[in-house]
Amino acid sequence: MDVPQPLIWIAKIVVIFGGLVGTAALMSLAERKVSAWMQYRIGPNRVGPFGLLQPLADGIKFIFKEELIPAGANKFMFRLAPALSAAPAMLTMAVIPIGGTAVIAGREIPLSIADVDIGVLFLLAFSGLSIYGVILGGWASNSKYSLLGGLRASAQMISYELTLILTILAVVALEGTLNLRAISENQASIGQWNIWTQPLAFVLFTITMFAETNRHPFDFAECEPELVGGFHTEYSAMRFALYFLGEYCAMTVLSCLNATLFLGGPSVPFWPEAPWFIGVAAFCLKAGFFLFLFLWVRWSLPRMRFDQLMRLGWKVFLPLALANLLVTGAFISFGAH
Amino acid sequence: MSEFLFYLLSVIALVGGLGVIFSKSPMGSVLSLLLSFFALAVVYLLAGFAFMAAVQILVYAGAIMVLFLFVIMLLNLGGMGTRFELSAAPLSSSRAKLAAVVAAGVGLAGLIAAQRASLPALPEGGAPERIDDIQQIAIALFGRYSLPFQAVSLLLLVTMVAVLVLAKRRGKESAQ
Repeated sequence: MDVPQPLIWIAKIVVIFGGLVGTAALMSLAERKVSAWMQYRIGPNRVGPFGLLQPLADGIKFIFKEELIPAGANKFMFRLAPALSAAPAMLTMAVIPIGGTAVIAGREIPLSIADVDIGVLFLLAFSGLSIYGVILGGWASNSKYSLLGGLRASAQMISYELTLILTILAVVALEGTLNLRAISENQASIGQWNIWTQPLAFVLFTITMFAETNRHPFDFAECEPELVGGFHTEYSAMRFALYFLGEYCAMTVLSCLNATLFLGGPSVPFWPEAPWFIGVAAFCLKAGFFLFLFLWVRWSLPRMRFDQLMRLGWKVFLPLALANLLVTGAFISFGAH
Repeated sequence: MSEFLFYLLSVIALVGGLGVIFSKSPMGSVLSLLLSFFALAVVYLLAGFAFMAAVQILVYAGAIMVLFLFVIMLLNLGGMGTRFELSAAPLSSSRAKLAAVVAAGVGLAGLIAAQRASLPALPEGGAPERIDDIQQIAIALFGRYSLPFQAVSLLLLVTMVAVLVLAKRRGKESAQ
């Protein structure tokens, strides 16, 4: 049986996109479960086995809740902003190769939605756009808390985006390509993983991930004691949920990117001829580790102060990332060849 | 199909551009400009310049427009209409004149350098096959067009200083 190509594309989009949104939904459950375990509680366990259907119940609740738009808000922007926050985060998943090449019924299928030569740039361009959702949502709410939260979030995302880009650039310079599939294929065996050649970039990237997604200990955008809920103070019902979906999607995408850039993507240690589904499983495991790290850190560390965050970003991380890039460049120019 | 898309995107870009000028609020202007940028990025994509498209979104939509939004939100320019008018009085201090002369000179030098460097426009046999090759772009930008590239960056710096000078002056005037 010969399956037409468009059908394969659609299937890939459905599977990868569905996996992303499913992961985001499960993360909302995992967040509560992990926090419960860390605090010697049980956590949600009523809906479905082990509370697995809790995200579904939450979703239904969000859809049927009343939606409030504050007086004096810019209605058009207020409605648009959550979508602007969630959509770019979901789009970026398109360029991430979740595995090598699958062979199903004698047919070779590359396991990424779009295999583009400028994959890294595409990802950076669109992940940078999620700032708009935060900043516009904060502005359109016509509330001081929201505005301050939006401003904080965007200042933080802009500051840390520089470090993020510079660390990625070091890997790109080393690999000599912007294609994420090529980058992951270049790290086929465990000795070739970029974590060994770029340990500093790996550490910086991993910490910057937290700031870029406004997660604890850098979650000043929704710092409850100071700003109520930050930029989404005035949001309710499904639009509020969209912000969370966007945040979890951004976390998932960055975890996948970290696994691709530094941990060899779908490569299995000491088993170079592993079948493709083992590769996908290895990729999910690596990305899953970073997702767990998000929760682990959130429930272990206290929140920083905003000036500390800015100082860390501009005075420590940025110079370190620049120096790392400089050394990498010097190594490429004078060393290996 | 691609021709239809091109015209559609052109119309969107033009509508966005008109929106920048005719929008009543600064926020509307920013969003219109954003729309225009995106339409242009897709036009680049249609022409095969994937790199240009990504950089367009990364730099303009992702960085510069966010700064614009910042300024608008922080200054809360909601109801401001007429205060954007710059005073037409010429700069009087000699240092300002010197700065203006230097800026104009650098701009002129940059233009001349760009003109001279770009004389042989395309290699023989038309455009290269892989127009989107990042390596080729880098070699052209940092090799053949290195001087104009530097000149443009200097020009940007000069513009920035000029804006600071103008803004400071206006601040002083309103304080008096």
